[in-house]
Amino acid sequence: MTQAQLASTISLDQSALTKIESGTRRVSALELSRIADALGERIEWFVSEAPEAIVSHRNRLDLGAASPEIDRLIEKATRNVEFLVSQDSQLELPAVPQLERPNNIDEAERSASEARALLGLSEADPLTSASDRASRLGLLTFSFNLGPDAADAASILLARGAVVLVNGELHVGRRRLAFAHDLGHCLFADEYTVDWRVSGQDNSNAWEGRLDRFARALLLPHVGLGTSWNELRDRGYDLRTVAVKLASTFRVDMATLARRLLELGYVDAVRASQVRTTRTNRADIVELNLLVHDELDSSTLPRIYEQSVLRLFRNEVVSSARATDLLFDLWDEEDLPVLPGLPESAIWKFVS
Amino acid sequence: MYSSEVLIFDTGPLSHFARADWLGVLKAVVGDRTAIIPDVVADELRTGGTLDSRVRGVLNVDWIELRELRSEDEITAFATFSSLLVKNDRNRGEAGVLALASTMSAVAVVDDGAARKAAADKGIKLRPTLALLCEAIQLELLTVKLVAALADDLLATQYRLPFPPGGFETWANENGLV
Repeated sequence: MTQAQLASTISLDQSALTKIESGTRRVSALELSRIADALGERIEWFVSEAPEAIVSHRNRLDLGAASPEIDRLIEKATRNVEFLVSQDSQLELPAVPQLERPNNIDEAERSASEARALLGLSEADPLTSASDRASRLGLLTFSFNLGPDAADAASILLARGAVVLVNGELHVGRRRLAFAHDLGHCLFADEYTVDWRVSGQDNSNAWEGRLDRFARALLLPHVGLGTSWNELRDRGYDLRTVAVKLASTFRVDMATLARRLLELGYVDAVRASQVRTTRTNRADIVELNLLVHDELDSSTLPRIYEQSVLRLFRNEVVSSARATDLLFDLWDEEDLPVLPGLPESAIWKFVS
Repeated sequence: MYSSEVLIFDTGPLSHFARADWLGVLKAVVGDRTAIIPDVVADELRTGGTLDSRVRGVLNVDWIELRELRSEDEITAFATFSSLLVKNDRNRGEAGVLALASTMSAVAVVDDGAARKAAADKGIKLRPTLALLCEAIQLELLTVKLVAALADDLLATQYRLPFPPGGFETWANENGLV
């Protein structure tokens, strides 16, 4: 939005807006409210400092470069998280544990094992309840549908806690891969990252490539995948059925599974290609009795985040309007809890 | 006793008096005290007033002063209360009232629960609509009967008290408010 457009939207003389921007004219509460509304931001954001990671990220961007939607949303999520932490003493986010940055793929595998231990997983377990497990490490994972042209994920590491945002447009396996990749960014102390494409393809960036390896090893642990692979093969299942069952058990997409089976030496390139092109269909779900997962489905907020907003609403720290704003308008005011009534004797507070 | 007191009015309380055609009563209740509305409340009255000319009429009375919040302290306080209450154009008035009341050590006339809680947390004195109605009754400007319907509505909704319809009148009679 240009300055002239903004001035027109908020019914303010453009010269007055210029003076406000340059700091030579103080802004009034009403003007500030209108500016915030026109820009889709919150009033207090103009007064309080942005979280440090956001400031340094902005400083790295080219001047005037358009900020993608994912930047806008993760900033909102981060500011909301910091607001909740400041108001809700029960929301205590631990500092995200930090792992040594892997220098090669072997170290990436080891890091994934360490991360799985931090998440309370054995060497064999599929990564279930990913968002809830991560929240115990201080990572709050949000999922919004940003459309097919947006980035897959972004993450911001805070002094305490971290915010991960996953594009809910992706299928569940890809959402989990993007989540695992950004969990890696946080555990390896990357302050602010936007990942445009997290995929099974070779990543030209060596560091991102190691992150991809970490993500695959996190979702498809060597021990667990190997055991399941051998069991299914021993029972005589064909490659397609094995792939469908493994993808369902470990909740990954076929490209990730194929890549992992190939890098661990369970399949050759030809069979990896067969796995990659396999599609789980409706008949598979019925005949193989698969569970359908909607993890990190579009418009998912972390449970502990939702609980914190509801606590603040119940304690009347925030209004119903602000509560639904904190809940990204995924809740209506009617969805909020009914506040308990006061005793009759409380009338004296209102009459005198 | 109230002459030095400053009352900062939110949109809701003023609208209650305006819709009942009690602005004259409110003026008498305010008496020697100073009545102020912040710019954000004036804007809400203007917007709400387009639907009800009586509400818009509040902007024309000479005993209510309009104050723009513009100083650094006022804007900082406005931002703080906005973070608790505001969403888009909702509750801006309340945030402005509380900001002005906190910077002027004045009395906030607000009714909503979260605004009352924010005021209490910041040590801001409160005077909800019902308290002003009771003052009007005590000054014999209004009767319990006249305010009963509005009082019942405030008690049941904004104050969340267990009073049935007609409850205020019964309570007022039992407690000598007439």
